Formats: sequence, C-alpha cells, structure tokens
Amino acid sequence: MNNRYANPYVIGVLLGLVLLFSFYTMGRGLGSSDSFSRITTAGVKLVAPAHAGTNRYFSRYLGGGKSPLMAWLVFLTLGAGLGGLFSAFISKRVRGEVARGPSVGVSVRLWLAFGGGILSGFAARLARGCTSGQALTGASELAFGSWVFMFCIFAGAYATAYFFRKEWL
Amino acid sequence: MGPLYKFGWFGFAYSLQLAGLIGFLFGFLLERAGFGNPRKLTAIFYLRDFAVLKVMFTAIVVCILGLLYFSAFGWIDLDRVYLLPTFIWPQIVGGLILGVGFVIGGYCPTTSVVATVSGKLDGLIFIVGMMFGSFIFAELFPLLQAFYSSGDMGVVRLSDVFGLHSGIIALLVCLMALGAYWFVEKVEERFGDKETLPGGSRKIKRSAAALLVVLGLILAIINPDRIATKRSSLQIHQEKEVEKIQKVVPVPVEPSSSGFKIMDDEGC
Repeated sequence: MNNRYANPYVIGVLLGLVLLFSFYTMGRGLGSSDSFSRITTAGVKLVAPAHAGTNRYFSRYLGGGKSPLMAWLVFLTLGAGLGGLFSAFISKRVRGEVARGPSVGVSVRLWLAFGGGILSGFAARLARGCTSGQALTGASELAFGSWVFMFCIFAGAYATAYFFRKEWL
Repeated sequence: MGPLYKFGWFGFAYSLQLAGLIGFLFGFLLERAGFGNPRKLTAIFYLRDFAVLKVMFTAIVVCILGLLYFSAFGWIDLDRVYLLPTFIWPQIVGGLILGVGFVIGGYCPTTSVVATVSGKLDGLIFIVGMMFGSFIFAELFPLLQAFYSSGDMGVVRLSDVFGLHSGIIALLVCLMALGAYWFVEKVEERFGDKETLPGGSRKIKRSAAALLVVLGLILAIINPDRIATKRSSLQIHQEKEVEKIQKVVPVPVEPSSSGFKIMDDEGC
C-alpha cells in the first residue's frame, strides 16, 4: 500500500480550480451530503410512499414528479466515487479493510463509524450542508454563515478529539 | 459570461454529465491528498498532520481570488451564482455536531465516499449512519423546524458584516491563510511524523505566498464590487437604450431562464 500522498497545497490549488470551474459553468459549488438525504428519501418513498409524501422534510425532494435521485448533487457524488476509485486504483490503495488506530478493535471502530455517520448526517441537514457544500463552497463565496460553520466544525472536533484518541493514535 | 448554465448555454441533461465530471475530479483530488484514510484526516485533531486545513484553505483562497478576478474581468456574474443564505444558529450547532461526528466517525460526508470506494468498510458504515442521521432529522423535522429557520440573516457576505469591500476581505483571507500555514507547519515540525508529511521546497512556498499577497493587494485596490456594480448598471442602461430605440415591449426571453429555478436544495 502506498501511503505517500500528494502535497496538500498542490491539491488545494487544483481543488480551488475545480470549484471555480463549477461556479463558472453551473453557478453553484460542490456538495455531497444532500445526495444521501435524497437516497434516504428514495428509500422511504419505496417502503412507505404515503409517509414520504406527508413528511415535511422528505416531501421537499419529491416535487415535480421526478425521482428524488434525479439531481445535480447525486451525479456529482457518483462522479466523486468514480474519481476516488480511479485515484486509489492507480496508487494501489484499493484494499478491503477497516481503517482504525492500532489500539481499537474492528467492531468498536465500526460502531463508532456508524455513530459518527448519524451525527454527521443529522448535522449536515441542520446546517444545510456539510464540509464541502457549506464550508468549502460557502467560504469561497465569502458567505458569513459558512465561515462561522467551518470554524464550528474545527471547534467541535478539537473539543472532543481527546476523548477519542484511542480510536486513532 | 458565466455562470454558463444560467445563461442558457446547456440544459439539465448536460448539467448532470458535467456534475459527473466535476465530481470525478473532486473525488480524484481528495483521494490523491489521502482523504480516503481516516487516520490521515483525523491527524489534524491530534496536531500531527494539517493536510485537511491546508487543502481546504488553499482551495478556498484560490476560488475566492478566481471568482473576484472573473467578476472584475466581466467573465462571471456573481449575482447569478447561488449564494448560501446564513441561518446562524443552526449553522453553529450543525457545525459543532459535524465536528464531533468527524472525530468519532473519522470522515466527513464526501471523504466517506472516497474511503468506501477504496475498500474501507468503516467508510461504508459511516455512509449508512449518515443516511440514518438524515432519516432521524426528517422524522424530527416538525420539532426542529423552528430552530432550523432561526437566525435567518438572508444572504450575508463577510463584506457586509465587516463593512469592507470584497477585495479587502480577499486580501485579509489570503493573509489569514498564510498565517495559518506558517503556524500549522511549526506545529507539524514539533508533533508530526517527518516520514509521511510531504515536503516542498521553501523557495516555491515563499514565491507562492508572495504571489497570493500581490493578487490580494491588487483586488483590495481595484475593488471588484464596484467594478461589478458599474458593469451591471451599464448593462441595464444599455438595455434601456435598446428598448427605447426598438420600442418593442416584450424582449424575447432566453429559453433556459424560464426553465431553471433555484430550488431549496442548492446547498450540500
């Protein structure tokens, strides 16, 4: 496995250009958590269509008779998966594993991943976006709330990092 | 003039293909940086590796400069770029929870996708958790709705909050980023692992820093906001002149502008 990663400044410049390209062509930035909210909506619609229609949050994705998955960000997330796969593949980094620190077991790590996922999914809906859709995109537009949001991510993470050090170190 | 989509250069179907391309580059770059690896991602919270901050701040600075220069050159109409509105209280609470989720889960939403495709089971479990989190949010939405809409400040930019024009804000952001890079590299020198941290020549870093300051200074001097306002008022003026000459009331509307509506989901 190749653990030498690219220089972060170079990646940052290129990512900034991709973001700029997105603004120039589409007039909007990147994002991905919305896709998972849409997939959830599609799932709920499949299992309980009446419930999805009456729920005030799900129903916002169901207008216009289109599938909730027929959305720009869903395609962006699909592309991100392919791009990530391509990059991991050419560096021989595709490997089935559970990534964790040396002093934590597999099942504990998976439960923590699940818990962290729940918090992130909930938080991204509450804040109308995640690290990419709200922090990266909004900060590039100089949006006030997005800057506050970005610093709050760091604040929340640094405040709790100590308690989960055994998961990573 | 951009944004091309909003000026009707292409339709919805093509925009989805473009989304795939932009997403591909996005995912590719994240994996290149090592962001499919949660230990690399969370190392920032243990002061060992600040790649997350470096990538984010650099991307933001490059994009801010790009947008403001494009606007000053008349290549993009920033009024037609979807600006994220500020709902300050849910953003503060959401940010804090997302940070906690990041440390516990090891990922943020996009990086979990990159981790999953590179074979990490914990990435997939994180995604399942995220969908469950969205489900909980939607189910609790009637209770949360008041808070979700609280602190509504509309579209406010840093320039509005500080009463400075965007050029000066851009310069300040450049300086803040450079200060942050300098500081985190000092911290990395102390706590980081020299073996895995990428190097980079000091000379290139200094030149790039100087370039950033110069680009920011130029923006601070030329005031991109004023140029954009001037241009749009000039355009409106010209359009009025044309109307006067033609004396035609209905100006034909571009087909795309009627077909596209900004929806509530433009955020992440």
